[in-house]
Amino acid sequence: MRYALRHMGIAGAVLAVAAPALAASSPSDPLKSVMWDILRDQYFDGAPVVFDTAVKVTAPAAAEDTRAVPLSVDATALERVVEMVAIADLNPFPLVLRYHPGNAAPYIATRIKIQQATAVRGAARTADGVWHVSGVLVDAAGGGCSAPPASYAQKDWADHVGEVQARLWPAGEDGVARLRLRIRHPNDTGLVDGIPAYFVETLQVDAQTPGGSPTLARIDSLEPVSENPVYSLDIRPPPDATALILRGRDNQGGEIRATIPMPLPDAKPAISLKPVGQPWSVGQ
Amino acid sequence: MKRLVTSLALAASLTAFSATGVLAAADAAGGPSSDDLLKSATNTEAVLTYGMGPQAQRFSPLTDLTADTVKKLVPVWSFSFGGEKQRGQEAQPIVYDGTIYVTGSYSRLYAVDARTGHKKWEYNHRLPDGIMPCCDVVNRGAAIYKDKIYFATLDARLVALNRETGKVVWNKKLQEYKEGYSNTAAPLIIDGKIITGNSGGEFGVIGMVEARDAETGELVWQRPTIEGNVGTLNGKDSTVTGKTNASWPGDMYKTGGGATWLGGTYDPETKTLFFGTGNPAPWNSHLRPGDNLYTSSTLAINPDNGEIKWHYQTTPHDGWDFDGVNEFVSFDLKKDGKVIKAGGKADRNGFFYVIDRTNGKLINASPFVTKITWAKGIDIETGRPIYIDDNRPGAPATADAHDAKGKSVFAAPAFLGAKNWMPMAYNPQTELFYVPANEWGMDIWNEPITYKKGAAYLGAGFTIKPLYDDYIGALRAVDPKTGKIVWEYKNPAPLWGGVLTTAGNLVFTGTPEGYLKAFDAKSGQEVWKFQTGSGVVGSPVTWKMDGEQYVAVVSGWGGAVPLWGGDVAKLVKDINQGGSLWVFKLPKA
Repeated sequence: MRYALRHMGIAGAVLAVAAPALAASSPSDPLKSVMWDILRDQYFDGAPVVFDTAVKVTAPAAAEDTRAVPLSVDATALERVVEMVAIADLNPFPLVLRYHPGNAAPYIATRIKIQQATAVRGAARTADGVWHVSGVLVDAAGGGCSAPPASYAQKDWADHVGEVQARLWPAGEDGVARLRLRIRHPNDTGLVDGIPAYFVETLQVDAQTPGGSPTLARIDSLEPVSENPVYSLDIRPPPDATALILRGRDNQGGEIRATIPMPLPDAKPAISLKPVGQPWSVGQ
Repeated sequence: MKRLVTSLALAASLTAFSATGVLAAADAAGGPSSDDLLKSATNTEAVLTYGMGPQAQRFSPLTDLTADTVKKLVPVWSFSFGGEKQRGQEAQPIVYDGTIYVTGSYSRLYAVDARTGHKKWEYNHRLPDGIMPCCDVVNRGAAIYKDKIYFATLDARLVALNRETGKVVWNKKLQEYKEGYSNTAAPLIIDGKIITGNSGGEFGVIGMVEARDAETGELVWQRPTIEGNVGTLNGKDSTVTGKTNASWPGDMYKTGGGATWLGGTYDPETKTLFFGTGNPAPWNSHLRPGDNLYTSSTLAINPDNGEIKWHYQTTPHDGWDFDGVNEFVSFDLKKDGKVIKAGGKADRNGFFYVIDRTNGKLINASPFVTKITWAKGIDIETGRPIYIDDNRPGAPATADAHDAKGKSVFAAPAFLGAKNWMPMAYNPQTELFYVPANEWGMDIWNEPITYKKGAAYLGAGFTIKPLYDDYIGALRAVDPKTGKIVWEYKNPAPLWGGVLTTAGNLVFTGTPEGYLKAFDAKSGQEVWKFQTGSGVVGSPVTWKMDGEQYVAVVSGWGGAVPLWGGDVAKLVKDINQGGSLWVFKLPKA
């Protein structure tokens, strides 16, 4: 935390000066990734960047299945997070997703494809415009992005594409409820010979309430997310919500739509995946 | 999909800094309007519609290229469709604002810089494994309107993309591909509605013409082509097509065929859509006594509500797979000092029909191939064929006995047609139609059959045979006033590509042997050819850009002939496959 604060101070000072100075004074990458300078300019677009262990990135040290590596990014230790990204540096498509948590807790978990051993990062942009970046190294055998998906061998993938499995757990005392989504989709990267790029692009969770249908959270998902993508979010359904509506689209215009029922009154909250002892502060 | 970020950024900065650039970019971004599409036949700077005009005359008023100057026509660039998907390329390019939009086999769409051949973007549709296109994985072209470009896919969907970025705007299911539906034709856009037909005539589907809002893809109306089926308008049932059971026995109209797989044409003067309908299902005609309306017909349809204005059935009670899908081309027939609003159609069944397009009444019908065995002629009074009853394949034995097939007959034309899908052209200056014909016959017999959803519903066996040793294909100039053949060009392999004609007295078409050829429109003399490296089965186009006349055509052998051609398939088996777009121009002197 102290490390992070120090760098935030620098970033704040830089913000007051001209933008081009930023890149020069940007902190060096603790993960020593050869891609960092390029990715920083590409995905953070000149905004101030700090390395901040307050963002918790969880991924295995070695990937068992390079086509489905579990990844979670938890920025709940930060105040007022407006956007989050996940990046796998050495993937042919480094950007995994962008998450717009709205009033949800700044936490997202998914499974991703990894092309080779790489730094995997999570970043959270706070309302002051600063990106807080953290990450881990994941060791891996090659080929997760350019190997054919398992569904390629199944003749009936087209019968199920866009189907949704979802579960919403009851909210805890803080009003936060775990939502888990699984969508049937090949999520093809376009790198496999003869298979065009075909992946889930946008997802949006709305609440169905008597007064309207406010949007709770939004995901811009990209090629590296695994086949049959899975997402876990910590949303805050309004108390008068009667159901959640999931709307989404893939890059070929295929529509995804599901109604997710509210949990039964006697259901128990989901077991938290958050590290024990972490302060539970949710940005607004 | 592959994006082109750099050129987009460049375009954006240009509009920001140049005042005239803003105007030009705004016009281009607005894209072709409904009116532009209706007037596309006379627009020499662009190719906005399939058929080079809604009437589909495939006539260009350009005169730079003539029988003399065509010798200087040279290739500018060639663009490969890439991948291993080198199957039949039957597309007609669309050209607008310096960009060529062209479709490839396996439901692919490309935007290519017309000046350089540089690819702007590519859309590669993810097809399910279970698609069932009968006659190769082709696509015949895209449609452009405002800021979007549209095309139909082999899994029977209609996709609208932003024509600058290639990003999908919407993607609508037209039909269920698992039941045998697919879609290969270029859509037609009239007054903001995108109008499509359907494929799947070999699977017992119901032919359908559908109109959707071009902005949203929402359905406006549907018109089934088989009598007894009910249409829709604005989400509600509208009217029954024809009169139930007037020409179909029992329930057979529910699986009656009549697929509108070649799309349609439109006549702005009479505000009428013309859609041809496919063969009735099953092929065995003894199972379905009656005329089987409206199969093997041309339907005149009101574009506002999908109501049928008139019909003309070219092959009532078809027994030979003589689809009536071939394009109906509106033209002014100048005869006996009068100008008649007519339409021409070169049918699969071997007859060239001239029909009054205001009422569907036959004006004349004449053979455009040398041998027709199934009818003596067409009765001008009734408009009906004079059948030769002996030439109808016999009924199979009713039992499921082994070898229960009926009497086999040798019939001409073959089921692939005296003319198949490949579009003809009409030149208002020579007043001639240029028809890509084929000379072949077939042995055909009927077999017992029951309908199963998604399975081929033929009930017939067949094999195609050439009629002559030295040629199958014949490009023929037909005089619609007399029905006479004015000239012909004979080609060893069957012709399978579209035709283009110009005010420069030229006719262009491709051959499976790989050539794009040009002919003198009056004499038929071959005046130019170019070897493209694979068979040409697409439709050539021409336009003017930077003061020079351009010609474009796709190359890539395939289509129905190698799949269904019997003896003929053997003749063409050594033609190499391909997949590329060739662009030529006549350089400034």
